[in-house]
Amino acid sequence: MTFTLFLDLLAAGLITGGIYAIVAIGLNLQYGLMRVMNIAHGEFLMLGAYLTYVLHTTLGLNPLATLPIAMAALFLVGLLVHRLVLRRLVHSSPNIDVFEARGLVASFGLMFVVQNLALMVWGADLRGYTYLAEPLQLGGVIMPHNRLLVFAVVVVLSAGLIAVLRFTLIGKAIRAMMQAPLGAQLVGIDTARLHPWCFGAGLALAGVAGALLSMVYEISPGMGEPYTITALIVITLGGYGSIVGSLAAGLLLGLVETFGMHFTSPSLKMVLSYAVFIGVLMFKPKGLFAK
Amino acid sequence: MLRNSICIAASLLGLAASTAALADEAVRIGYAIARTGPFAGGAQVSQEPNYLLWAEQVNAKGGLMVAGKQRKVELIGYDDRSDTETVVRTYEKLMNQDKVDLVLPPWGTGQTFAVATLANKLGYPMIAPTASSKKLTDMKLPFVFTILQQPDQMMNALADMLVAQGVKTVAVVHVDDLFGLENVDALSKALASHNIGLLDKKSYPLGVKDLSPVLKAMKEKNPDAFLGITYPPDTILVSKQAREIGFNPKIFYAAVGTAFPLYKAQLTGNTEGVMGMGSWNAKTGAAAKDYFAAHIAKFQKEPDRWASAHAYASLQILQQAVEKVGLDRARIRDAIAGGEFQTILGPIKFKDGMNASIPGTVSQWQKGEFEVVWPKTRATATLVSPKPAWN
Repeated sequence: MTFTLFLDLLAAGLITGGIYAIVAIGLNLQYGLMRVMNIAHGEFLMLGAYLTYVLHTTLGLNPLATLPIAMAALFLVGLLVHRLVLRRLVHSSPNIDVFEARGLVASFGLMFVVQNLALMVWGADLRGYTYLAEPLQLGGVIMPHNRLLVFAVVVVLSAGLIAVLRFTLIGKAIRAMMQAPLGAQLVGIDTARLHPWCFGAGLALAGVAGALLSMVYEISPGMGEPYTITALIVITLGGYGSIVGSLAAGLLLGLVETFGMHFTSPSLKMVLSYAVFIGVLMFKPKGLFAK
Repeated sequence: MLRNSICIAASLLGLAASTAALADEAVRIGYAIARTGPFAGGAQVSQEPNYLLWAEQVNAKGGLMVAGKQRKVELIGYDDRSDTETVVRTYEKLMNQDKVDLVLPPWGTGQTFAVATLANKLGYPMIAPTASSKKLTDMKLPFVFTILQQPDQMMNALADMLVAQGVKTVAVVHVDDLFGLENVDALSKALASHNIGLLDKKSYPLGVKDLSPVLKAMKEKNPDAFLGITYPPDTILVSKQAREIGFNPKIFYAAVGTAFPLYKAQLTGNTEGVMGMGSWNAKTGAAAKDYFAAHIAKFQKEPDRWASAHAYASLQILQQAVEKVGLDRARIRDAIAGGEFQTILGPIKFKDGMNASIPGTVSQWQKGEFEVVWPKTRATATLVSPKPAWN
């Protein structure tokens, strides 16, 4: 294997992994921090993708400029979904395990609702647009600009999120809420407000991920489901509640897939992913970065 | 006596009323097709729009002529969610419980395969517009017909074209499902018989997101031709990624989806010279041109240049068979098997359940249109080779 090819594969793997990471971090905010196993996560990603597509193709907005719009819109959708669905579940569930089970079933329903709404509005056709598809050559490594942009945004966003959780007061409050919900309330953390915000932030990340994916791939109402599954693998690998873990596990999975595809066959992609998954679960059942 | 006559009169009136109702009653035609899930992209481009267009056109003219009476067509369509179990259950319900008059096929090789034996057992004729499989045609189910070209036809045409262009070596990627495996099998045989070297062959799973590692390795082997047995999203993916890494062999072929209008939209200015599976365009004939215009008028989008027209033609054949023999499904089956039909793709007849009138074809993007370039008898333009460089 030449050094250039190695660099090529490394870059391709990191980019794929970056996409996995951003999708997984959003889900981890919901599951790791709040125990909402949001099976409809990929559907909200799809909404982000369609939002960018519509804003770009009808209003001519630069797809990059739609990122904050997708983020804000999905944050609001998150608040709404929380208000309509999750708040009731929080109040009616006797304990967190029952809440988790009910949340899973509710989000399963949401998945069909959101997917079919998109289907009614846009139909099942594959859609897409071209943005920054020109290749960039760097010392023999060739990458299209749009994939590099996706990677850059992923790195910035996850670094920002890690910093917020670690260094700010609100980040401390979120971590406190995760560790001891009752204790957090006792010391004056407004969990009734923080809870929906966290959920909204998870959906906002899904929205950004969708907007980014629409720059690289074609979009369709069913595009989100595979990402939900990958995100589940990634957050389990990285450890529930660990944002750093999701980032690292996402990148790891991307690299394993890309190098594995080169040395074996793309058809074995899922086998490779699950091999890593099972391996980690056997030796570190709580994930690579569990505390 | 009087009472009796009233009774008879009343029942006669009732009888008259019920026959009138029968004549007014719509012909119920059922189907399940992917509106969600991974097959929806193909189904909603190539197939279901044609069902809707045909039904609207037939009803606008007063309906389907059944035994001398015009009856409206009522489509009963369900979403099969791209799920094999759902598609089988839905057709069971349509045929056993709802007892619809006729059924139309679902989308794709796999789904058609799943319901073919059932339709055959229950005696419902079916002309599949998007099934391409030797395994299916080898079963020789009397009630199941295929109107799309089959793998060996398409791949033999491709190999013949490669020989004519002096191609000596090829690299192949293929999707690892029934469609991909059967086509690559047929392709390998055709290549071997023409002594064309197969430098590399890689399979990939449905929904793949990155094929650049594979394409880079192929670029280094420098084949005369790249052949992708691919589905719509992957067709676009391999084309975009080949362009990104500057992989530009003399012949660049990708299978399903090159014929889609989406391909042109996504490859903006980079379609020139790309080949793929296509069999017609608006230049194929006057009827094809009318169909093309009607499709745009109803859906504000162009039909794809392969299976769309086959789907529409299958409905024309079904219509002509019904107008000839009525709604007796066994007789419809015999009419389809034995007749020749005028369609937008020209006259079509079946042999062993397969379309015997349209040979395997190869199409190529030229100046924004997907032209049929092989064989010459079906060509709408002359083949351009070598493929110009990507922009």
